[in-house]
Amino acid sequence: MHELGLSRNIVSIVSENAGDRPVARVRVAVGPLACVETRALQFCWDIVTEDSPLAGATLEIVEADADTFLIKEFEFGEIA
Amino acid sequence: MCGTCGCSDPANDVKMVDPETGKETLIRQGGLLHDHDHGHAHHHGHDHGHEHGHAHTHDHHHPHEGDDKPHAHGPNGEIISLEQAVLSKNDSIAARNRGWFEGRGVLALNLVSSPGAGKTTLLERTIAEMAGKRPIHVIEGDQMTSNDAERIRAAGARAIQINTGAGCHLEADMIADAVATLDPEPGALLLIENVGNLVCPSMFDLGEHMKVAVISTTEGEDKPLKYPHMFRAAGLVIINKIDLAPHVDFDEDLCRRNIAEVNGTARIISLSAKTAEGMDNWLGFLDGAVVGRR
Repeated sequence: MHELGLSRNIVSIVSENAGDRPVARVRVAVGPLACVETRALQFCWDIVTEDSPLAGATLEIVEADADTFLIKEFEFGEIA
Repeated sequence: MCGTCGCSDPANDVKMVDPETGKETLIRQGGLLHDHDHGHAHHHGHDHGHEHGHAHTHDHHHPHEGDDKPHAHGPNGEIISLEQAVLSKNDSIAARNRGWFEGRGVLALNLVSSPGAGKTTLLERTIAEMAGKRPIHVIEGDQMTSNDAERIRAAGARAIQINTGAGCHLEADMIADAVATLDPEPGALLLIENVGNLVCPSMFDLGEHMKVAVISTTEGEDKPLKYPHMFRAAGLVIINKIDLAPHVDFDEDLCRRNIAEVNGTARIISLSAKTAEGMDNWLGFLDGAVVGRR
């Protein structure tokens, strides 16, 4: 229900850490009790990243334990 | 669709209203992408970025399982390990709130339920019953209107209304703002009435001592099974409108079993905020709750 806002949180945190450099991939760990609908999160991702510093970055979701909801890591892309 | 910080909709402002003075404060401006809270947390990641942009032989794309250190593998294709909770900003403000409440001995409870379960009526009755015994402050969360804060004020307690606009839940920074205005005295009771919603508020820690879930007999016995996350997060479940139970074929034992199925440790109190039946158990709970210990 709140995946749009959660996507924005992810974009915000990764953007702060990436600075001006392009990001190719973001990896997020989601547990079964996190109350996060991963398909909805994926669906929101393109909308939220469009026109953001993370435009074009892919979101990769990995399964995790319990109520884990973490940004594991992100990968820089090639500088155009 | 609702936004975590209420900024998913350009028309979405979060407002705080003090019904005593009529003063309105804009605590979040709609349409901004997380402008609040910027300016820190810039210290991960880049620090070791460019020391070894050459002469490394390993693969850039190995998965780094079990390795928590920030990584740097050359000018491009670097993988930066964050291991940061998506809700970490909310959680850190909630922790600050919790420390403030504990330091001051303020018992803060986060009341959650579906709309219409009777949270506001329960608060009105609680304020009436505790009049003169213990100061009560209330934070009311609703998408729109100050109706509930007006009701609380009429019942005799200090109240602040937070209007979340399109947002579906209260967040820790809204509580911090409201508490700065309310300034509850040591030993006071702070009752936070969350937005009526059994989904989103379960994810957002406000810094409360405990979440109290309210369910009413008219909603059916299976609510705890339908919305397990919320009932799992609660330390106390109140079954309200118990006076209506015979009229709506409500099976209290079944409801209690359903609550126990998703949360084996939650206390359960049946009451009617309207007739005051069972209110003593709730008031006894409030008297016995020790701040800082769950």
